Amino acid sequence: MRNGAEILKLGTLTLVWWCIIFGAVWAACYIVGILIPMALSSYESDAARMTAETCRALTPILSVLVFIPINAMFMVLFERRGLAIFTVRLGPNRVGPDGYLQTAADAVKLLFKEDITPRGADAFMFTLAPIVFFAPSIFGAMPLLAAVTNYHELFQIVNLPTGIFFILAASSVPVVGIVMGGWASNNKYSLVGGLRSAAQAISYEIPLVLSLVTVCLMAGTLDVVQIAKQQAGGILNWNIFGGGALRGLDTALALKFSNQPPALQELSQKSFDQVLKSSYVEPTMQAIGLGAGQEGLAGIIAAFAVVILIGSILIAYGLYMTGACAEINRIPFDLPEAESELVSGYNTEYSGIKFAIFFLAEFTNLFIVASIAAVMFLGGGDCPVPAWLGTMLGGPVIESMINQALTPLIQIKLVDPPTLFAAIWVILKVYGIVFFAVLIRGTLPRFRIDQLMDFGWKRLIPLSLIVFVLVVFAREFVNVHVGS
Amino acid sequence: MATDTEVDLTPRLKTDEMLINMGPQHPATHGVLRLILTLDGEIVRHTEPILGHLHRAQEWQGQNRTWFQYQALIDRVDYLSGMFTSWAMARACEVVDGCEVPERAEWLRVMVSEMNRITSHLLWLGTYLIDLGAMFGFPFYPFREREKLLELFEEIAGQRMMFNYIRIGGVMRNPKDAWLSKLKRFTEEFPDRVDEYEAIVTENPIFLKRTKGVGILRKELGMDYGITGPSIRASGVNIDLRRTKPYSVYPKLKFDVPVNDRDGDTFDRYIFRIREMRESNEIIKQCLDMLPQGEISGKKQIAGLRVKAGEGFAAVESPRGTLGCYIISNGSDRAYRIKWRNPSFCNLSILPELLKNHPIADVMAIFGSIDVILPDVDR
Amino acid sequence: MSETPAAKPPEEPKGPGLCGQFLKDHGIATTRLPDSCNVETIEIDGAHLEAAMKLLRGSSEIKLDYLVAVSGVDSADTFDSVYQLWSYTNNNELIVKVRVKKTDVVEGQLPLVPSLARFWSAANWHERETFDLVGIRYYGHPYLRRILNVWDWDGHPLRRDYKQLVDALNDKAPGSMR
Repeated sequence: MRNGAEILKLGTLTLVWWCIIFGAVWAACYIVGILIPMALSSYESDAARMTAETCRALTPILSVLVFIPINAMFMVLFERRGLAIFTVRLGPNRVGPDGYLQTAADAVKLLFKEDITPRGADAFMFTLAPIVFFAPSIFGAMPLLAAVTNYHELFQIVNLPTGIFFILAASSVPVVGIVMGGWASNNKYSLVGGLRSAAQAISYEIPLVLSLVTVCLMAGTLDVVQIAKQQAGGILNWNIFGGGALRGLDTALALKFSNQPPALQELSQKSFDQVLKSSYVEPTMQAIGLGAGQEGLAGIIAAFAVVILIGSILIAYGLYMTGACAEINRIPFDLPEAESELVSGYNTEYSGIKFAIFFLAEFTNLFIVASIAAVMFLGGGDCPVPAWLGTMLGGPVIESMINQALTPLIQIKLVDPPTLFAAIWVILKVYGIVFFAVLIRGTLPRFRIDQLMDFGWKRLIPLSLIVFVLVVFAREFVNVHVGS
Repeated sequence: MATDTEVDLTPRLKTDEMLINMGPQHPATHGVLRLILTLDGEIVRHTEPILGHLHRAQEWQGQNRTWFQYQALIDRVDYLSGMFTSWAMARACEVVDGCEVPERAEWLRVMVSEMNRITSHLLWLGTYLIDLGAMFGFPFYPFREREKLLELFEEIAGQRMMFNYIRIGGVMRNPKDAWLSKLKRFTEEFPDRVDEYEAIVTENPIFLKRTKGVGILRKELGMDYGITGPSIRASGVNIDLRRTKPYSVYPKLKFDVPVNDRDGDTFDRYIFRIREMRESNEIIKQCLDMLPQGEISGKKQIAGLRVKAGEGFAAVESPRGTLGCYIISNGSDRAYRIKWRNPSFCNLSILPELLKNHPIADVMAIFGSIDVILPDVDR
Repeated sequence: MSETPAAKPPEEPKGPGLCGQFLKDHGIATTRLPDSCNVETIEIDGAHLEAAMKLLRGSSEIKLDYLVAVSGVDSADTFDSVYQLWSYTNNNELIVKVRVKKTDVVEGQLPLVPSLARFWSAANWHERETFDLVGIRYYGHPYLRRILNVWDWDGHPLRRDYKQLVDALNDKAPGSMR
């Protein structure tokens, strides 16, 4: 089957490029953040200490700067090859081995292209627009770094107590760049594209933010590291499945399949509603008049609340993905650059390096929204296998084996096992979402601008408010993120 | 200060209509149509199409090339349905000349033309989805089937698009048995493929939103503008030359001509093209079963081919509508006057009416739905 | 290429056909020309064209409501404007010709034929095309402007006496057909 072979090739390509991207990023971080300070630690001068500290402080920004261009290259290639598979084609496979270097060649081409400023354009604004568009994707994602690396010491510095708030604030800046570019290009298509983009971003940011606020409400914190950590312990603890609301079910399953750990021995004798009891909030039940002896009714209410909570969160996840798609102008919401109407929208007049920056930022934004989804909904760096099942399947044994094999590397701090495992899961999740976005792109036609607005204001925003309110109530009845 | 109390309440904000120039180098104008749109906000108030960017003087060439040379040129008039342009001219010449076309040639003509109709509609389907913004993904599926047909064309005519297969008096070449069995296999699997397209597109909510109720073509308006083909059949006018003015062996074939019972919108135009593809497939099946043996050309294919003096008009039902050819011959080896009646040219003339008061995003949805091929417009 | 269509063997002048008779009943005189491939062909005076077309299009029994094409022909001694009329509902066909004698055309001006575009939208672009290529001026046309050639093109390419201006490309290849 030719398709199978193509999928295999895409898989290989992805693995190779992942090694290139993350190898390069980690190499840069390791050299600047660990090797240089280690080398400098033998000198006992203030200057040396200062230099070492500066290097360590610069590591996060360096990692992002190394990461963004290589990653964008990979994502473009990934998208093109992925789309090719969906659309019964082969995709780029000529440059380098099996087309691996196609986008690298494209990047080189874009850099050497003539940089044209159209006559009548506002040259200053025209130059500023790509910068304003691109800059937020560098600093906006900083707090996420700490979350996705499992709070690695090098990246602790970028964590903020109000992380998600900062990320959202930063991610709404690029629209200014789009409007700027559209206005400064002195082209009607660009102008319409830019203005459309502003309208679209404003309308779709509301459901996007509301769905994330719902998650923050469940988590009780804005700190992305905290949110990621809360969800540790398997797929049922992830926010998308109610953030541990199903703990009762989990426990019951664990008891059924496990070799009866002594601590849980007595629990296993209890009935279903008592298992459920571990997932509802007793004070609330008592507050509405369901005290001891009414566990059955309380259990039913709790079960009901769990269903509502999980349903709401699933909807919130859908809302987030929709809003994110609109936020980063991807099909079916790519109105600002609607090719069949507006030529290319706000970036019609851009060429060369400026266009490359727009392009880069677009794919980086896709990556960022995917990683927000991974951290906020999909448990960050958490392994999807529940802890008890993992233990049964011999997870710790494998882990210690890997640790042992990597001991020399761990000793020179080249590998940090908690970060390594977390990062691998994050990578898989994030690119899974990216793949989903590619799939969407290969399937749907585009909305019309008035239909888009209708959909945003009349469907998504009310829905996100309803979800928000439902979660507020349901959370009171269900144990979420307690004990983890 | 006496004027202090007088406040000017007239609105200061001046709104104006915007002229926007769509094309000729616009990614979605299917070639080089230029539309000058007058926009009120995003609403189109007035449209002026500017044609001729692809004008190749096909009629002038007809007067200055011999019939034999010109035969090879006219596939380029409508490059997506070359069989039909060839056929229209061949028919016009045969009507004027009075030469007999062998039976087998007629069956072969019907067969290849219906294949060509399918390829044309398939390409339309793909590009129309692109017009609606499905940039990747679906548009490539129709091309998969189209590719198979183009390979068959290549085998029989030596060319994938500029066939020059239907000649004055007959056809160029006899198909081999292997070719016929390949075609048979294609016709057997094709309905499933159409089901596949319909599964992806017909009930797609975004597609429905974009097409339902958009660009409604009133029956009377369409008849006033001389619209033909699937576009007018989707608006309820039963004009299909294969049935209303039967030619060739169409009377012997069983097929439906789908006709709508109300004024059609872009969605109807989509669905009627889909139905037409299925019907064409049926026709090919019947042709394969009923193909007789015999000669394939009633006129010697030589460079000095001549057509008797006289004048005549003949038309065929192309994928876009009535494709007519009006020739005046003076008995020499080239035409005295040759005039093409191109369906795209006539169908395009209604565009300004259809676009009126639609948002700019619908311009391409409507323009795509009337299925215009620019070389066919400009000739 | 300046030969004219060879004169057909003179046919017996037939009586007016279906449409000719219909027009005659309504007081419009027509001349019947030899049928072109079994389709009734009539010649009509330019002055009566619009009235005749309105009758043919509006009548319920003839109902020639489909204007297939308007062609211009530069014949031997006339400029013909040829109208192919079909019907959306029945099988009637008719070819109408308006002939303007070349001797009647004022030197330096275009032959004049009344336009149908005002009451038949289909005629609009066809007439523009004929004006552009053959150089027949349809008076009363709302927007008679070149449609296929660029607006400042010289001459009308489908005239038999049309000579394309010699440009650099043609200079290099004098034997070229262009």
